[in-house]
Amino acid sequence: MIHFARADIVRMLRNRRYLVFVVAFPVALYLINANIYGDETAGSGLGYNVILMVSMAAYGALASSMMSSAVPLATERQSGWLRQLQITPLPSWAVIVAKISTALALVLPSLLLVSVAAVVQQGVSLPPGRWVALLPAMWLGTVPFIALGLALGSALSADAAQPASMVCMFALAIAGGLWFPPEIFGATMKTVAELTPSFHYASLGWSLAGGHGVDAMDVLVVAGWAVVLGGAAAYLYRRATVRG
Amino acid sequence: MRSTSNAVEFDHVSKHYGAVLAVDDLSLSIEPGTTVALLGPNGAGKSTSINLLLGLLLPSSGAVRVHGGTPAEAVRAGQMGAMLQNGALIPELTVKELIDLVRRLYPDPLALDELLSLADLTELAGRRAGRLSGGQAQRVRFALAVAGAPRILLLDEPTAAMDVESRLRFWASMHDYAAGGRTVLFATHQMEEADEHSDRVIVIARGRLAADGTAAQIKADAGGQAVSFVLGEQPAAGLDRLPGVTAVEVAGGTATLHTSDPDATLDGLYRGTALDVRGLTLTGADLEAAFLQLTRESR
Repeated sequence: MIHFARADIVRMLRNRRYLVFVVAFPVALYLINANIYGDETAGSGLGYNVILMVSMAAYGALASSMMSSAVPLATERQSGWLRQLQITPLPSWAVIVAKISTALALVLPSLLLVSVAAVVQQGVSLPPGRWVALLPAMWLGTVPFIALGLALGSALSADAAQPASMVCMFALAIAGGLWFPPEIFGATMKTVAELTPSFHYASLGWSLAGGHGVDAMDVLVVAGWAVVLGGAAAYLYRRATVRG
Repeated sequence: MRSTSNAVEFDHVSKHYGAVLAVDDLSLSIEPGTTVALLGPNGAGKSTSINLLLGLLLPSSGAVRVHGGTPAEAVRAGQMGAMLQNGALIPELTVKELIDLVRRLYPDPLALDELLSLADLTELAGRRAGRLSGGQAQRVRFALAVAGAPRILLLDEPTAAMDVESRLRFWASMHDYAAGGRTVLFATHQMEEADEHSDRVIVIARGRLAADGTAAQIKADAGGQAVSFVLGEQPAAGLDRLPGVTAVEVAGGTATLHTSDPDATLDGLYRGTALDVRGLTLTGADLEAAFLQLTRESR
């Protein structure tokens, strides 16, 4: 099974679309924005170069979680590859565990590259303790997005999964305040943002990067979405592959 | 009747899809080590039967047994390998990576080099699956099917996308694999394939068993062989008394003699009559006529 997950990772790393959109795009976006606004300081006292680092890392992680789950799963289901796996001794739960592991592993490049760009190009410097809290939180916080991707990949055809995952990803990125700082949102937009996993996911990152510890609300919302979307994904995956 | 020594057993198996009956009260058993062709027209229930054997579908009624256990147990034990229709590959992985990926999922797989040479892929080992031709991709799918050294190999219309040369190579690979005492069941709608590559032919039509036996038995049972020649203005009297002849048709100056023994009929035709025999053809010397007749009867 480890070998199976590894092959899955190798395969995504050879996918040009993944590399461009998920790995290069957030880094480029960070560098552009940080070079314009990076010197300014937010109301919280945190530099924009740090805030943007978290936003772009969050965006990259979000994009990666969804891109490495929804479309590949939908394609494999449709093309018959999952059937090929179903007739091997590999248990069906192992397929989904491998998919989650693959998606988690593929979050790392975008997360780490944005951080490296922030440190190298913007001279961002955080105490080691904050990095140690920030990166694992932002890594594991992608679970609800991976679950959403797997749910879409189980429910939709490959052709439909592509635009659906794009729409979900952009909606989550914008509503979560990853592209525009949530401070500029109107009241309605703020209420919407409060409900999304992406806002609380990024918020978790902003708090940890600012050394403010963890807001229990952020953790609860992200974990809550992880449970709901995880349940939906499990249900839809079973429905898509069950023997009848 | 129940015997655990059979590789495959269908015990009064039916499968509906809604109102459509794809497999209709099918009972059969296959002994280990035999190569069996599952012959039938499109929509006869061949793919459904194979999916039932793999546990990808569950029967609506009846039971499917593989080496005495359920299909799911056999799959989990790594005893089954299959080439399904529309089985895709992962385009970003190389041939070697794909085969290695699948063989590692089995408890006791064939060696990677052995698989590559068995499926004639040694030279393509480093090529990405997305850049293979149709016939090459089929060879990879064959390698994936046998990667785990399964005791039972199921092939669903395996040569569908192949050109003539690929077919020859494919059947050679299949015979190499079957020679190790393994059971092979392949579905086809081509009688020549069933005739040439199996020990036993099971004909199904409309989800039912239409015939079961060696290719020779099926041909003989259906009496599907015929000798035709240009009769012209000559008299047809006496043709029905030639050895082996079961029926005579004369149409448009051509006589067609249906026969159970074409050799004896021809001998009688040349030696026992004074007819001037021209334009002689032998038809139904393959399974085709038998097959058409069998599948027509079961309607």
